[in-house]
Amino acid sequence: MTRTDGLPNRRGHGRARRVFPHLPMVAWLWLLWLLLWGSTSALVLTGGLLVAVAVVLAFRLPAVRPGTVPRPLGVVRLLIHLLTDLVTSALTVAWQVVRHGGRTTSAIIEVPLDVDGDLLITAVAELTNVGPGNLVTEIDRRRRRLYVHALPAGGPQDIARRRSEVKAVERRVVQALGRRSEDTGGDTGGEADDRGRNP
Amino acid sequence: MTVVLDVITAVLFLGGASFCLLGALGLLRFPDTMSRLHAAAKAQTLGLLLILVGAAVQMSPNLAPVLLLVALFQLLTAPITSQIIGRTAYRTHGLERHLLLRDELADRLEHEGSPVHRRTDHSDRRERDDEDTEDTEDAEDAEDAEDAEDAEDAER
Amino acid sequence: MTLLYGITLAMIVAAALLTLVRLLRGPRALDRIMALDVLVTMVIAATAVGMTARDDTTAVPVLVVLALLAFIGSVTAAHLIEKREGMR
Repeated sequence: MTRTDGLPNRRGHGRARRVFPHLPMVAWLWLLWLLLWGSTSALVLTGGLLVAVAVVLAFRLPAVRPGTVPRPLGVVRLLIHLLTDLVTSALTVAWQVVRHGGRTTSAIIEVPLDVDGDLLITAVAELTNVGPGNLVTEIDRRRRRLYVHALPAGGPQDIARRRSEVKAVERRVVQALGRRSEDTGGDTGGEADDRGRNP
Repeated sequence: MTVVLDVITAVLFLGGASFCLLGALGLLRFPDTMSRLHAAAKAQTLGLLLILVGAAVQMSPNLAPVLLLVALFQLLTAPITSQIIGRTAYRTHGLERHLLLRDELADRLEHEGSPVHRRTDHSDRRERDDEDTEDTEDAEDAEDAEDAEDAEDAER
Repeated sequence: MTLLYGITLAMIVAAALLTLVRLLRGPRALDRIMALDVLVTMVIAATAVGMTARDDTTAVPVLVVLALLAFIGSVTAAHLIEKREGMR
């Protein structure tokens, strides 16, 4: 989104180009301010805008560009899955507590990823943490691998199932946000795909 | 209308409190740090979310969004916290090895002969040697952690 | 409804006591940090229930601050532990 909008403006509106990536953050902070005050009086509105701009200026962050356009339908599906995952994951752990308690066995599983880009890998890792039975212990950013601690893991078939669950999360993220973000990728494509097929 | 809202709150509160209780039970019963993290991260988070939504249902319309905001914030930060604690747990040996069915990360590290693994081996051996001193060291760690939190407080 | 709030609060308090046992028992610093994090979660939950029970909304900002502090505190503490263990 930012890329296509930005390119034609490069010469004339350098200033606008620098300001634009920070606007979502200003809007979010402003909204937060309004929510916390719980009113929309003139004082709160102007004060919130000033504070939001001041915060963005004082704590400069690198502008995060998604690089791909989010697809609404995929995002909605991702959110619905997020809610059901929340419930099932809590039920899984609760059942494990009641049923096995101190004698649960677990495993650490390597999952090679197809997606590339900081934002996408972060999204996959976070959503895996919400999903049932899996917690990410280590992220190998360079080789694009997640190491996942799976809690109820009784045998090889469990490990295979957990791995496919993480891959399913990844697939949903790809459907919502795309496969890779802007400046990475291209040359490192092939080998991860092969690993995904026969682990 | 209020009856319906009351019923919703009742269900959410009781469900949330049950998950809190089960999460705490898991925190107590599970054998190693990584497993306990599962109980803390999943059951606990859902419990709090349900209770916050249940409270928001009863609140006046200008305060309900704030409670939902707290819920949203919890939803965003809980996975991040658990990932960072999980990473630290693995690197500082918070795992009962004999309860692990398989450890593909250790396999990978061994295969590549990376320094992380050599450090793992080394500290594993040392850990057994001075197991009795570990508790006092941990107490120090906890104190330091609290100091850090105090510093954060002061900054705010 | 009063009975419901009572039951909910009792369950949360029981959960908090269990967490307290883990906090005292450790055995690792990381377990204690985790227990503290969970304990803050329970304080937030109990405050929310209490607010609903007494129809008193003054504590709402407290919830926001607690949620923020729990996150920052736990992450910072975990980082400190990792740094320390790495140096030994």
